[in-house]
Amino acid sequence: MAPFYKYGFFGDEMSLVVAFVLGTGFGFFLERAGFGSARKLAAQFYLYDMSVFKVMFTAIVTALLGVTYLAWIGWLDLSQVYLVPTHLVPQIVGGLVLGVGFVVGGYCPGTSVASLATGRVDGLVYAFGIGAGTLVYAEVYPAIKDFVNSNDMGQVTLPEVLRLPWGLVVFAVVVIAVAGFSAATLVERRCGDKA
Amino acid sequence: MKLPALTLNQKLAAAALTLGALALFSVPHRGPVVTLDARELALIVEKEVDHVTPSELAGWIVQGRSDYRLIDLRAEPDYAAYHIPTAENVTVAALPEFPLLRTEKIVLYSDGGIHAAQAWMLMQAQGYRAVYTVLGGLEGWKDEVLYPALPAQASAVERARFERAVALSRFFGGEPRAEGGAAATAPMELPRLVAPPPSGAASPVAPRKKKKEGC
Repeated sequence: MAPFYKYGFFGDEMSLVVAFVLGTGFGFFLERAGFGSARKLAAQFYLYDMSVFKVMFTAIVTALLGVTYLAWIGWLDLSQVYLVPTHLVPQIVGGLVLGVGFVVGGYCPGTSVASLATGRVDGLVYAFGIGAGTLVYAEVYPAIKDFVNSNDMGQVTLPEVLRLPWGLVVFAVVVIAVAGFSAATLVERRCGDKA
Repeated sequence: MKLPALTLNQKLAAAALTLGALALFSVPHRGPVVTLDARELALIVEKEVDHVTPSELAGWIVQGRSDYRLIDLRAEPDYAAYHIPTAENVTVAALPEFPLLRTEKIVLYSDGGIHAAQAWMLMQAQGYRAVYTVLGGLEGWKDEVLYPALPAQASAVERARFERAVALSRFFGGEPRAEGGAAATAPMELPRLVAPPPSGAASPVAPRKKKKEGC
């Protein structure tokens, strides 16, 4: 029965090993998708290469279907899966800050580490940026603490917030993803011509 | 008529849509329905490995151990009146929602032992691996730890055991009953809740650090 950690299949030390293996795999596939290069990532914002959108949405659909089916056949206890608590407004603001950093720096935190691992200098600079940003955030935190913790919705899922059946939300997300892929391919063709 | 050949992407999209459509009928949450391994449970019950004796528990508290969660299943007023030091108050109905890890050592007790045993069964069914009940419940705690009695015509071994029990009893604010059982007729008053601080440990009910999760 999964989650393995919550059900005691391995302890704290082993969970670090598992995290390392999963993280390495994640980095490997980011690199394989071309996301170790800021050019590829920046292309997303100029709309002539929608790889970021496609890869991320593919990951979402794969995980969504996997989790749904594993839970359905009883191998995964969904109630034990950790969800990051939702703080709606603070997270929208945080998302915008991250987005600006993404456009300016050409990486998101995960891809910057992948690019650093392949020896890119911009990845190294970006990693310093993450360190500096974390430091600044930690120093500013006392002043913005109330805002960061506002709007607490707890560990919620879309089916709970929308009051819809789980399966319906799964189906809707898959339809949106497939429609999105088709649209993305059209956009690529259009913007690719101009580029 | 021949179907147009599909690209790999189109095939994957078709597979995702099919799985997504099938997921419309999925029931991913188990809800309150659980399954039990009857044979495994029967073995645990028979071997009596699911008990912690009151003296053992008292020893853990004195040592200031923190590798277990002690759960008082009684109603809130009873808990407020008296509870075993380090216990947290959770009613049986609230137990499924209470934040306990399936890997934690959980020790349950109620007044007698029936509620604890029933809750033990429920938790076993939900995959909690290390659940124990206090043998005899709070009554057992009173008899064995708070008010230990020395039987008449006690053997040397029994006397030695009683000496240890007296020390424990005083530690938890109880009162050992002397020979003859004269004191047994007197109503036993539960000690007041000035939780005896275990030697060494800063506080037995120090808030546990929440495990950090997520990224």
